[in-house]
Amino acid sequence: MITVIKRELLDHLQSIQFIVLLCICIVLFLANGMISVKRYNQQVSFYNEQVSSIRQHPSTIMTMLYREPNQLSFVVEGGDKYRPYGYTLKQKGVLDAMPSGPRNFKLPEIPELDWSFIIKVIFSLYVILLGYNAISGEKEQGTLRQILSNSMGRIKVLVAKYIAILLTALVPLVTGVVISLIIVGIFVPQVLTLINVSRVLLMLLLTLIYLSLFAFLSLLFSSLILRSSLVLLILLAVWVLFAVIIPNTSGILSQSFSRVPSEYQTAKMIGPMIQQQVWARIKKISERVDKGELKTEEEVKKESDRAFNEGQDELIKHYKSYEDAMKQRAIMAENLSRLSPTALFQYASENITQTGTKREENFLNDARNYAHIYDNYILEKLGKLVGTSMWSFSTDMMIGGKSVYIGSPWPQEYQGDKSDFPQFVESQPSVARSLRDALFDIAGLIVWNLVLATLAFSAFLRADVR
Amino acid sequence: MIWTIVKREMLDYMKSAKFLIGLGITVILITLSTIININDFKQRQQDYLNAQQEMKGDRFYVQVYRAPQVLSTLVQGKDRKLGNSLQMTYLGLPIRTSGFMGQYVSEHHRYLAGFEAVDFAFVVRVVLSLMIIFLAYNAISEEKFHGTLRLALANRLPRDQLLLGKFTGGLIVVVGSLLVSAIIAFLIMLLHPAISLKGSDWIRLLLMLGASAIYLVTFYTLSLFISVVINRPSIALMILLQLWIFLVIIYPNMGVILSEKFYGLPSEKELAQRKDAAFQPYEEEYKKANEAFSGAIRSGGRPSTEVGLRNMELTIKRAELSYQVDKEFSNRLSHQMKLAQAISILSPAVVYDQVMDRLGRTGMDEFERFMDGVYRHWQKHIERSKLLYKDRAAYVKAQLPDFTYPSETSSRCFVVTLPQWLILVLFSLIFFTLAYTAFLRKDVR
Repeated sequence: MITVIKRELLDHLQSIQFIVLLCICIVLFLANGMISVKRYNQQVSFYNEQVSSIRQHPSTIMTMLYREPNQLSFVVEGGDKYRPYGYTLKQKGVLDAMPSGPRNFKLPEIPELDWSFIIKVIFSLYVILLGYNAISGEKEQGTLRQILSNSMGRIKVLVAKYIAILLTALVPLVTGVVISLIIVGIFVPQVLTLINVSRVLLMLLLTLIYLSLFAFLSLLFSSLILRSSLVLLILLAVWVLFAVIIPNTSGILSQSFSRVPSEYQTAKMIGPMIQQQVWARIKKISERVDKGELKTEEEVKKESDRAFNEGQDELIKHYKSYEDAMKQRAIMAENLSRLSPTALFQYASENITQTGTKREENFLNDARNYAHIYDNYILEKLGKLVGTSMWSFSTDMMIGGKSVYIGSPWPQEYQGDKSDFPQFVESQPSVARSLRDALFDIAGLIVWNLVLATLAFSAFLRADVR
Repeated sequence: MIWTIVKREMLDYMKSAKFLIGLGITVILITLSTIININDFKQRQQDYLNAQQEMKGDRFYVQVYRAPQVLSTLVQGKDRKLGNSLQMTYLGLPIRTSGFMGQYVSEHHRYLAGFEAVDFAFVVRVVLSLMIIFLAYNAISEEKFHGTLRLALANRLPRDQLLLGKFTGGLIVVVGSLLVSAIIAFLIMLLHPAISLKGSDWIRLLLMLGASAIYLVTFYTLSLFISVVINRPSIALMILLQLWIFLVIIYPNMGVILSEKFYGLPSEKELAQRKDAAFQPYEEEYKKANEAFSGAIRSGGRPSTEVGLRNMELTIKRAELSYQVDKEFSNRLSHQMKLAQAISILSPAVVYDQVMDRLGRTGMDEFERFMDGVYRHWQKHIERSKLLYKDRAAYVKAQLPDFTYPSETSSRCFVVTLPQWLILVLFSLIFFTLAYTAFLRKDVR
């Protein structure tokens, strides 16, 4: 078997597609390293600036919670550029996202040039190019019959070809990864910690599982179909389906399938809500003033404060439910896209490197935990909490012939010593926890491997090799 | 003689399994994507119409909505991503639209940013171009490999006629496949009750068909050239696939990365400083006017006409100056985008996208036109707001006209995209000339 592996390996290494893949990998991983280093340094400098500003000027009105730049964004960026770089935390646990998305919204949206993109698009395609004629090519040339006329069993031949494909793909992958790590290691050495290196190793293992699936897929079709060009066409169609069509259409499909209210439906509710919760109650207070039930400015302000507070609480709930609805829709889109092994690989790699949706979720959990500490601090210092939404209200009322300004309550700034102001620290999940988060997607990839391997072996064992 | 070759080539192509599978995949994709996109458009259109009726805004907050483009069902471009709503007051005007929940709140893009759409333009750009490579990679190399090229040329058949025959045969199949896909998409649109196409839309659809044909011919002539130069079909296919990956996936992305690297943008802090500096000459006067205005309110009275008007004029001045800084920033964003396009100009996929986005009214040019209209609408809103202090009765009566902005004519769109059309034609001509010259000089033994 070793002889077959060696022969296959030699054939692949001498092929034009291997040389091109190697060149492309060197260029792409080089670009990945350089771009990531520059971006990471910019993010770190921005983050440090913002965090130091918060520490210098702690506020009880609102505070900012910034996401620490991800050290492994060069491995998997995970859509972080579309996520807010932080949240504004207001009293009563209100979290408002800071602006998100690329600064230049006019530029075409392109996938981030991280390892995951290079692997899921370029490497999967090249594994197909390496394996499409593994069986059908030999059959076309008549060499398959000769190989099998020796004492070597069919299973061994297929295993040898499978191993050769993966080993060939590993050469440019390892070369590229080493180049990228060298650049990162030289310019931002703090990134290469033991935990990060173990995450990178897990990522490489995941890559092997992912590429193995495409190797089995190529061997399956190569065993089933006689003509190599037809095998390649079908494999490319499957690749387009897995790498492009399923992941991309799931976003729009989730909108059709999900039962959560649309953005428009949610937005439409704000007007009537304000009318009912705030202005209708303010009108009633005004009527009570006219009837003489509320006589002093203090009484009116107490009543209006209550109306404004309850209105604000309703609005906060409404914005929260909108955000939850959008998240539900995104989760549905993710789940739909899980039909594709490329999406499974993407989500698993995001979990392993702690980027993407899971990182955002963890950050928000930390932020909510911190919100309790922040509220307790304010209660201790000021004795009350005031919830605020995107809206603020103000009006004036005539009380005893005098115009009185009535406005929604505003949080107070504590004027005393704030040296004990609580600091926000983002938790760092352990590697074991990241692996647990990725388990479902990894299991999906293993199932794909098992099914395709079974089919490939079964097809090859039944193939007519004459 | 040439027609015999054309007929034989066409028959060969159409009988081949690769053509049938490729066409099958294309037809399925076009059908599904068009239906999904039409349903999405229907929902967006309904939201737009409802918003116009139900979320009109008031005299202070003016709401403007951007209608979804009917041709986005074939070319999504930026249509879904840019948001449909914009809120203006005399205190300020944002430089971009958002979702219905408002600026910085709409989460749609954030949560679903990683998911793109599959549409007609995508199928042509990715799937059909791949199919064309598969059809043509062995047009000459296979004949040479099997020795039939020598036999064919042993007859009284000039080389140029053989190549032209093969080219024409393949061209008819390529354009035919495109036509089949386009007819399916157009028929679905025509028969769907949610879609109503105007005359100008039909012209644009025909232009889209033309641009798609030229794009595919570019890949066809490239495949023909490689097939002439490389003798082994498998190597020809490998080279073509590498070129395809480079031209369709890698190179367009490099354009964006390089433009971001070479064309810097001012930071938010710098923008804020520029805004402050622009308003600096009025700052003192504004403080006084604002103090006088607030003082009048605090004392329970109504500010005098002069105080109110001056305070408003200065507030508007600040909003206008702030908008000018934002507009300048927006122009820089456009320049960065144009640089990315210029860097990627050698990719037929990028050039094709530019033409299709413009034809589908789903590119940034349509958005800029919309935003210019928004600015003019804002000016009218400001004039009306000033009436509050100048002539209250007139203010109460004054109605803002409905928001409109001039649309681009199809002929203008064609003229503007002419350079891109010419680039695609030039690519095809260059590849065909190279293939032709190489074939005339080729050793066919």
